[in-house]
Amino acid sequence: MSVLDRLAYGDWIVWAQCFFMLYFIGINAGYMMLNLLSLGSLKRYVEMHSLDDLPRSISGFEPPVSVLVPAYNEEATIAGSVRSMLQLNYPEYEVVVINDGSKDGTMAALKREFALLPFPEATWQRLQTRTVRCVYRSATHPTLRVIDKENGGKADALNAGINAARYPLYCGVDADSVLERDSLRRVIEPFLEDPRTIASGGTVRIANGCTVDSGFLTSVGLPRNPLALLQIVEYLRAFLFGRLGWTPLNAVLIISGAFGIFRKEVVVEAGGYRHDTVGEDMELVVRLHRLFRTRGTPYRIVFVPDPICWTEAPESLRVLKNQRVRWQRGLSESLTMNLGLLFHPRGGAAGWLAFPFMVMFEWLGPLIEVAGYAFMISAFMLGAVSAEAFWTFMLIAFGFGLILSVSSLLLEEISFHIYPRPGQIGVLLLVVILENFGYRQLNSLWRLWGLLLWMVRSKARWGEMTRKAGWQTGGGGGT
Amino acid sequence: MPGPVAASSWLPQDPLLALVFQAGLAIIACSLLMLLTVFALRMRLLARQRSERFYEARWKPLLAECVFGVPGRLPEVPRAMRYTFLKLWNYHHESLVGAARSNLEILAGRMHIEQVARDLMNSGNLRERLIGVVTLGHLGDRTHWHELRALVSDRSPMLSLAAARALLDIDAAATLAWLVTVMAAREDWPLARVVAMLSEVGPDRSTQPLIAATEAASRGEGGKREVVRLLRMMEVAHTERVAPLAGRIARESAEPEVIAAALRHAQDPRDLDAVRALARHDQWFVRLAALRVLGRIGETADRVLLVELLGDKHWWVRYHAARALITLPGARLDDLDKVRATLTDRFAADMLGEAIAEARS
Repeated sequence: MSVLDRLAYGDWIVWAQCFFMLYFIGINAGYMMLNLLSLGSLKRYVEMHSLDDLPRSISGFEPPVSVLVPAYNEEATIAGSVRSMLQLNYPEYEVVVINDGSKDGTMAALKREFALLPFPEATWQRLQTRTVRCVYRSATHPTLRVIDKENGGKADALNAGINAARYPLYCGVDADSVLERDSLRRVIEPFLEDPRTIASGGTVRIANGCTVDSGFLTSVGLPRNPLALLQIVEYLRAFLFGRLGWTPLNAVLIISGAFGIFRKEVVVEAGGYRHDTVGEDMELVVRLHRLFRTRGTPYRIVFVPDPICWTEAPESLRVLKNQRVRWQRGLSESLTMNLGLLFHPRGGAAGWLAFPFMVMFEWLGPLIEVAGYAFMISAFMLGAVSAEAFWTFMLIAFGFGLILSVSSLLLEEISFHIYPRPGQIGVLLLVVILENFGYRQLNSLWRLWGLLLWMVRSKARWGEMTRKAGWQTGGGGGT
Repeated sequence: MPGPVAASSWLPQDPLLALVFQAGLAIIACSLLMLLTVFALRMRLLARQRSERFYEARWKPLLAECVFGVPGRLPEVPRAMRYTFLKLWNYHHESLVGAARSNLEILAGRMHIEQVARDLMNSGNLRERLIGVVTLGHLGDRTHWHELRALVSDRSPMLSLAAARALLDIDAAATLAWLVTVMAAREDWPLARVVAMLSEVGPDRSTQPLIAATEAASRGEGGKREVVRLLRMMEVAHTERVAPLAGRIARESAEPEVIAAALRHAQDPRDLDAVRALARHDQWFVRLAALRVLGRIGETADRVLLVELLGDKHWWVRYHAARALITLPGARLDDLDKVRATLTDRFAADMLGEAIAEARS
């Protein structure tokens, strides 16, 4: 009896097979569409910025920016990170570090390195935060201020930073991030090009294996750690088409907390970052979409594909698992807190495309993917599913996984070719194939765990990660 | 149940499964093709980079020679390397000044670069069009004036801005009167870029066209947004020449955004009465702009008004009132300490305290 006949007879096993197969086809077809959209955007972007390296491209009249650096237990890296942020190539900006009640020597390191002195600031408390113990100004760097406050989480720290920020735009940067010297200049572009822009985010790349000197990236390398290597391809996929693809539709739902710039007034008006989510960065962006769409106010949220921010990726399974679990919980919270955007009559592409896409493929995705694999494997082992159907399913799952990863590598090669040596491309091509055998499935399991944790509502806290920062000491440790 | 692969064929026997299976194989084949493309692109990139390094090693010394004179030997530029050469030539042109820049232009003339730039400007590729337009501007040749002027109306902000800049490079005096009105009207042109362009032209040449355009716009020939944009563009003009017009607009306009923009340029003490009145305007950003003027040209007598505004409901108004108090003629920090001690409003006292501490640090 053919599959079609068994479907007609209501054979639930075949129906389930078809459902999972169609789901896999649907999710990957969706990503392929995003990929195509990204291709157009990327081509345009590269052409438009082809003369950026000419001396006259710097205008010097860009709007001033407050760089907000929330820090919690960052004793090892904070001085280097702040020093690099003080050397950005941008006409007018301030750096505001928010020490969120660190338990280690973060505050002492800041005081020591930057000659901090208490200053009687009359801060505008527009967003409620935990008590600010003291505001410091640096005697050596006039553009640096440090807010020392009681622990309240990253969102609370960012809100305190927004209260203290003196400029109309603010840029949230993770304390362990390494920025390019002209990061601010590149990410500010959308604000110059279109006054309706309310937020813009940059591409985050993995710093493991790279060499960092005096807070700036000096050479790009690949890490030796296989987990970090796998995440490179994953980041390419997530940023180059996971976000860039949504830009032309004005439906970017995520701007990474590691590097994103926002119009301060808009964020304050929206109520600032929420304390009750671990995905405060995504939640804010989805909320901004919801508020602007439902009010019918024109706006733009943009993603800039330039690789401008580098961050350390976890190199152990335990830390990576915690990160992915946290991300999935953050995603769940961001979507459920803003369900009003879903299919709202004025929701536009954000409400009618990006939000449902996120719900179907990113939020519920792990559940259906893991269920799909579990069903097919168990049904095959029990003889309920034919070997033909089983291998066809596996072939489709592998094929789509492969094509998506390869296409992100292709986008990278068309645009920025960050990894300069052919050997590095060879390694990445190998990783693209290998990640389909175990890593992606493991990721789905972790994300499913995150989804379950969200369902039982376990407590949110700062994303603690053991920093190795081998690249910050000048030893790249990569290839 | 049939086996996974029939003896006669490796495809599933079920037609639907066979179709899906074939689709899977096609996807994998596409992936492999893309893998090869990535590799081929990398090989092409490496070859191009090698070629660029080879030519740049020959061109750079020749272009650098322009610092001392026009080199006798002309660089050889294969057709495929035209873009790379123009970019390098433009880089040098924007980095050098005076005679060196003129030498670069003479060198370009001998190489018929203008023809190459024109070809690129008319190509279908935005990257090439941009470099063509920029080069024509740097060459300063009026031959392509009309083509460049037409490009100013192009839908692409990047290309139209490049064309506007090229026109300014060729003949700013002849361009500005007309271009300033375009700059005011084209909101898709980033203001920072427009102001940077005017700044390159210099206040001597840009002030008069800006005043004329602003006067016309404020008389009702342009919208409110155009007037505001023109007033913002005046940041690069001669302040003393702009101030009377700005003062008049600030006094006469009913639009808060226009008033606030005009106040940025007000510096005539004769406008002080109007500024003081505007310091009590309904809109906080007008009050703020007025306070900034008082911070620049305020008199000792304004202290009472400023102390009153320390208690304003808007934080930024309080902030600028405190800073204006510090900069008033004859202001002494010890006196301001005493003023602070008399303040009953905690927010006002905190704000003045911060300003005093800042002045002392």
